[in-house]
Amino acid sequence: MRRLILFVVPAILSCGGGSESSAPQRKTIIDSRDTYDPRSMDPALSTDVPTGRAVAYIFDGLTRFTPDAKVVPGLAKSWDISPDGLTYTFHLRSGVKFHDGRPFTAKNVVSTFQRVLDPKTKGGRGWPLYPIKGAEDYAAGKGQTITGLSAPNDTTVVITLKEPYSIFPKLLAMPVNSIVPDSPPGDFGQKPVGTGPWKFVEWRHDDYLRFARNPDYFDGPPKSDSLMARIIPEMSTATAEFEAGNVDVLSVPDEAGKSWQADPEKKKLLSSAPALRFWYVAINVMRGPLADVRVRQALNYAIDVNTILSAVMAGRGAVANGVIPPTLPGYDSNRKGYTHDVAKARQLLAAAGHPNGIDVELWAATTDQSPRLSQAIQANLAEAGIRAKIVQRDASSVREAARKGASDLYVKEWWADYPDAENFLYPLLYSKNKGPGGNVSFYSNPKFDALVDQAHREQDESKRNSLYTQADQMQFDDAPMVYLFFYKDMYAIQPWIHGFTVPAVFSGQRWTDVTIAK
Amino acid sequence: MVAFIVRRLLLAIPTLFGVLVVVFLLLYVAPGDPVQEMVGERADPETIARLRKELHLDEPLLNQFAHYTGGVIRGDFGNSYITQRPIIQDIRERFPKTLLLAGSAMLLASILGITLGVLSARNPGGWFDRLGLGVAYLGISFPVYWVGLILILVFAVILRWLPPSGYGGIKYLILPAFALGSRSIAFLARVTRGAMLEVLGGDYVRTARAKGLKERVVIVRHALRNALIPIITVLGLDFGYYLTGSILTETIFSWPGLGRYVVNAITRRDLPAIQGSVLFLSVVFVLVNLLTDLAYAKADPRVAYS
Repeated sequence: MRRLILFVVPAILSCGGGSESSAPQRKTIIDSRDTYDPRSMDPALSTDVPTGRAVAYIFDGLTRFTPDAKVVPGLAKSWDISPDGLTYTFHLRSGVKFHDGRPFTAKNVVSTFQRVLDPKTKGGRGWPLYPIKGAEDYAAGKGQTITGLSAPNDTTVVITLKEPYSIFPKLLAMPVNSIVPDSPPGDFGQKPVGTGPWKFVEWRHDDYLRFARNPDYFDGPPKSDSLMARIIPEMSTATAEFEAGNVDVLSVPDEAGKSWQADPEKKKLLSSAPALRFWYVAINVMRGPLADVRVRQALNYAIDVNTILSAVMAGRGAVANGVIPPTLPGYDSNRKGYTHDVAKARQLLAAAGHPNGIDVELWAATTDQSPRLSQAIQANLAEAGIRAKIVQRDASSVREAARKGASDLYVKEWWADYPDAENFLYPLLYSKNKGPGGNVSFYSNPKFDALVDQAHREQDESKRNSLYTQADQMQFDDAPMVYLFFYKDMYAIQPWIHGFTVPAVFSGQRWTDVTIAK
Repeated sequence: MVAFIVRRLLLAIPTLFGVLVVVFLLLYVAPGDPVQEMVGERADPETIARLRKELHLDEPLLNQFAHYTGGVIRGDFGNSYITQRPIIQDIRERFPKTLLLAGSAMLLASILGITLGVLSARNPGGWFDRLGLGVAYLGISFPVYWVGLILILVFAVILRWLPPSGYGGIKYLILPAFALGSRSIAFLARVTRGAMLEVLGGDYVRTARAKGLKERVVIVRHALRNALIPIITVLGLDFGYYLTGSILTETIFSWPGLGRYVVNAITRRDLPAIQGSVLFLSVVFVLVNLLTDLAYAKADPRVAYS
């Protein structure tokens, strides 16, 4: 279905009457980016994008992300770190109230974190709190309390970590760690109560979510009265809604990017920003000829990323020379990438003992740009004598196969949860994370692991960044993946909308500064 | 009549049980892992093992089946793995919207389709008949998502008469109902025309005309009534089909119905949601078929059930 729709999309886009330049009568800001119903409004269940976005409107964490991916104080106004890097003392804001009027205190932080980890919550996302001492035991049902977590008074939370973990405050900004009131009722996921800038009003499943301004928000109330997040599964429909002036912000579909940029009227509405999203081809280093680093490098030389980027993605991205995106510290702008060099690829294959090429399976989901990317990659590989058979399944099946180690190559995208190079190096390549942890290359290099461990412990930011750079270089030489590109978001924003910036982390835009103006 | 209904309903029980077994087995052998869909892209093996145990997914197939069927017999369809809401509640929320859309599509289809068919049959080979034939071919050939997008483009984006998508008052209903019903309109027009041509040649129609009845009365009371059986068959089949979730239409028009719910459940391997919806939809299908059979008897007194 998807592919057929693509033919119609350009028709809609080119025939559309163009956006109205006059502002609509409504006072509600309307978002169109959610493509499926959120899992819940309960932060503890926040494992998908629509849920994370909504949770970030209603709730606050101890810290939070800004649209440009900085981590700033949230419910904690400041924090001290002990010299050994093990103890974090968070000083909380006083006078903050939940939407139902109950006061926010340090006890809420303790009970919230316990709830996220509690096996009975069945949320499945405890790992952002695992750095806390005793957290993993608590999650396993051992122990009545989290030993490393305490609230000595109403405005102080003391957290002791298992070992120094310098990026911990960034993990606390993730939606799953948002603070909830005491003993949330059974239907909390349907009727959430937080401290955030927006109060929850209504949720029509598969239709829309509605929020109202919290006039008492501690950081200053939102500038608009209400916010609506529509759930629109089909991109061409969202585009039509935008053209009709019914929604304010649109994530422009990849296939429509070129025609929007070519249209001078529409071009004015576009706004781009690098996203913390990474497209790559995971190479399972355990399987057959792929165990040989020369073969893996040959794969990288065989693929013409620049052409793929412009042909398939309408140029929306930056070529990746490693897993750290150019927008994050640790990125090495001097690193020379694998260029497109078919002769070199063939030479490396021959040196590895495969003068006649190799046969591999290239796994891809049926969603997103995966089918088109996999076809382009297959064609590139064929030029270098690598015969790739595309195995296309639905996303869930492909993920399962890859996690079990049953795929040779797997075209995939990684969305960062927090803005740090660690969020690419650790889940995608650390040996302990093989399989379900995110390392579907099954890459295992003790030296690489040691560098990442060292970076985790390093308190000094510049030293840490240089460790990231070293680790990135090390895995880049080992080539456990084909480095494709870092995705660039392209949004269309109605001319009457002011104060909206494209967020780098999906939960980083809370609409507090956004207004509709004539 | 009552005995007939009771017998049919009793017969439905083994059918539904069969559906349950087939769905359960299919989901068991199908690739994809519900727990991994719950936890997202990054998770530790311990959490995954814990959830699997919690959801009884680590037990043998027979135990899982007994566990689920036991719940269903007690009227408990379980909770969604993903959202943790009761499946019954999700269905109750979405089915009325699917029913509204399917009902409107059918209403539109019966009015337009039958009218077109009758008018075509009045003068076979005439210009209206030929035009009707052309329109019907188009209606049957164009896939629903294409019709849907064109309708959005013309009526929502260019003319701005109607909203492109969403759920609300009647103005939100018109485009999706039309898109969904377009195939039935075309099909019904053809079937009605054929059936009408057959009866219009009958002796009793000549008699009716000879009695001096008005042409309108001849057509509607005498001819159409006798042409109803094939029309009801088409209506019944299409209605059952639409009720089982018009997935494409609901997706294109962001209609919050059961079709989208099932698709989401399948994408995320939400087993109880898939099983519950399929079972529910099977019940609906059985009921619609029964109603269709009863409608035959109403339309044609010669058909009698006992």
